[in-house]
Amino acid sequence: MLYDRIFAGALLVLSGLIAWTAFHFDVPFQYEPLGPKAFPIILSIMLAACCIWLIAKPDKNAWHPNKEVLTKIIIGLIIMVVYAALFEEAGFIIATTIVGAIFSWLFGEKPLKAFLYALALSVISYFLLADLMELNVPTGLLLGDL
Amino acid sequence: MDILHYLSIGFSVALTPLNLGLVLAGCFIGTLIGSLPGIGPINGVAILLPLAYSVGLPPESALILLAGVYYGAEYGGRISSILLNVPGDAGAIMTTLDGYPMAKRGEAGRALALSAVSSFFGSIGALLLMVIFAPLLSKLAIQFGPSEYVWLMIFAFTCLATMVGKRPIKTVVGVVIGLLFATVGVDSGTGILRFTMDIPNLFDGVDFLVVVIGMFAISEVLVLLESWARNDLKLTPVGKSFVSFSDLMAVKWVVLRSTLSGFLIGVLPGTGASIASAVAYGTEKRFAEGHDDKFGEGDIRGLAAPEAANNAAAAGSMLPMLTLGIPGSGTTAILLGALLMFNITPGPLLFEQQPNIAWGLIASMFVGNIALLVLNLPMIGVFVRLLSIKQSYLVPVIVMLTFVGIYSIHGDSFDLFFMIVLGIFAFILRKLGFSLAPVILGLVLGEVLEENLRRALSISGGDWSILLNGTMTYILAVATVAALIAPKILKVLKK
Repeated sequence: MLYDRIFAGALLVLSGLIAWTAFHFDVPFQYEPLGPKAFPIILSIMLAACCIWLIAKPDKNAWHPNKEVLTKIIIGLIIMVVYAALFEEAGFIIATTIVGAIFSWLFGEKPLKAFLYALALSVISYFLLADLMELNVPTGLLLGDL
Repeated sequence: MDILHYLSIGFSVALTPLNLGLVLAGCFIGTLIGSLPGIGPINGVAILLPLAYSVGLPPESALILLAGVYYGAEYGGRISSILLNVPGDAGAIMTTLDGYPMAKRGEAGRALALSAVSSFFGSIGALLLMVIFAPLLSKLAIQFGPSEYVWLMIFAFTCLATMVGKRPIKTVVGVVIGLLFATVGVDSGTGILRFTMDIPNLFDGVDFLVVVIGMFAISEVLVLLESWARNDLKLTPVGKSFVSFSDLMAVKWVVLRSTLSGFLIGVLPGTGASIASAVAYGTEKRFAEGHDDKFGEGDIRGLAAPEAANNAAAAGSMLPMLTLGIPGSGTTAILLGALLMFNITPGPLLFEQQPNIAWGLIASMFVGNIALLVLNLPMIGVFVRLLSIKQSYLVPVIVMLTFVGIYSIHGDSFDLFFMIVLGIFAFILRKLGFSLAPVILGLVLGEVLEENLRRALSISGGDWSILLNGTMTYILAVATVAALIAPKILKVLKK
């Protein structure tokens, strides 16, 4: 099975959903001839046509990930999700230290060195970003009263 | 002279201490980002955009900073091309062909210096052309009505589809996905909600920054994870960096030609630095045939041509972005999105009504290019040393900056999760051979396209023939057809 076909098939279903949703928009009043429905419907028809073409003439699969690579990508994704979940709750410094250390380790750093690097990075960046640039950086558990 | 008057306004904006500092910072960061393999100008601009927005820079300053990163990266891309044979960004792919052989011969310093000077002349040449053509183009564009704008955008998308990537159909899919993203949220005409799936965060539309960062930066981290392998790249020693007068004389016509073609290709919507450098290299190779031609083995002409062209294209792609509101490349699409976030609509009126932004940017590019020449000649050693930053140090910084940047806009974790979802989607697109620039172009132009289409049909009372009404619409329609069939004709001619 070619990846192009799977992807185009999924997009084809999506374009159908879009067209159906757009067709059923509840428009109470409208002053112009085209209205809010037409543009999405035109686009979904174009998308559907392109997808049918892609299903008929797909490219060969150029991507052959092995297990090791896939695991690495999935670990990377999981850590990013964890980062997003921790970011507000645990705060910038804790979240960045944990996530930064794992990323640094994934890219070949020794565990202890990765942890120390991430710790330094998060503490220094916190003060740069929050105090110097006055960005909205969550404090979370640490430094709650600063 | 009008132009001199406006330029003086521009320089008075560009030379304020804040903006001067931002130009220098942008150029430095840009060179660094460009020189690091993997992180191209698009990613650099994308990562910095939310930070520039949240810090509260005035629009012209934010634009000056981000543009500095953009053209700085076109300078920086050559460093790793020459020293490592790994292009730092897409525009520097052709630079590896003759740059790396020169470095292997022990002429890395000569190659770096000559390519920096070529880049400089390419940029300055294109900027001068821009100063001349920007007022003319905006005068022409001021007469454009909704029908003309619809055609202009269709033309841009056609150019993109036929010139970028191997499969035009995949580019079209990308554009349509981007356009559909743009329809999410409240419809400005009727106030109804479209495709929001009852998620309050989407009522305002899909946040441009979340899409850009998710699609570029997050997917880039995934790509880096995939491609990373434990090998320490060996840097070629630079040696003495110098520019000799005889080298410059040998490439003066090459640089001039490449600047012109690079500028033109940059102005064409959708086609950017990577195509410009490929075209310039190919042209010069044909010119040089039989004249002591050592292309591919370290010919200085093969080094100067793509570098002059990709920098000229970077400047050239700003012209349609500023005067028409149609970006000339993926990166300028992000710059356009940045302007829209500041509630500034680029277009013909920008030059009249807000000369401090349009001309301030142009003036800052003159300043920036001079700064880049200084950064890239005497200070080249600094960047060469930075090139050996390990990815284990770099990736945590990238991830951290993207998360901080996105969180700081609304202070809502929803954006972070949404960004990751978009990153996964973009990663799949990249792996299947779709490029991401069309999606961003579609997203940026979607609202304008729909608005103009609806306005045109309101004027005509629903009659579609308004789209072919007036000389300019015919010209643009013919240009669109030409862009559609030109590549096919060229292919036949080559045979």
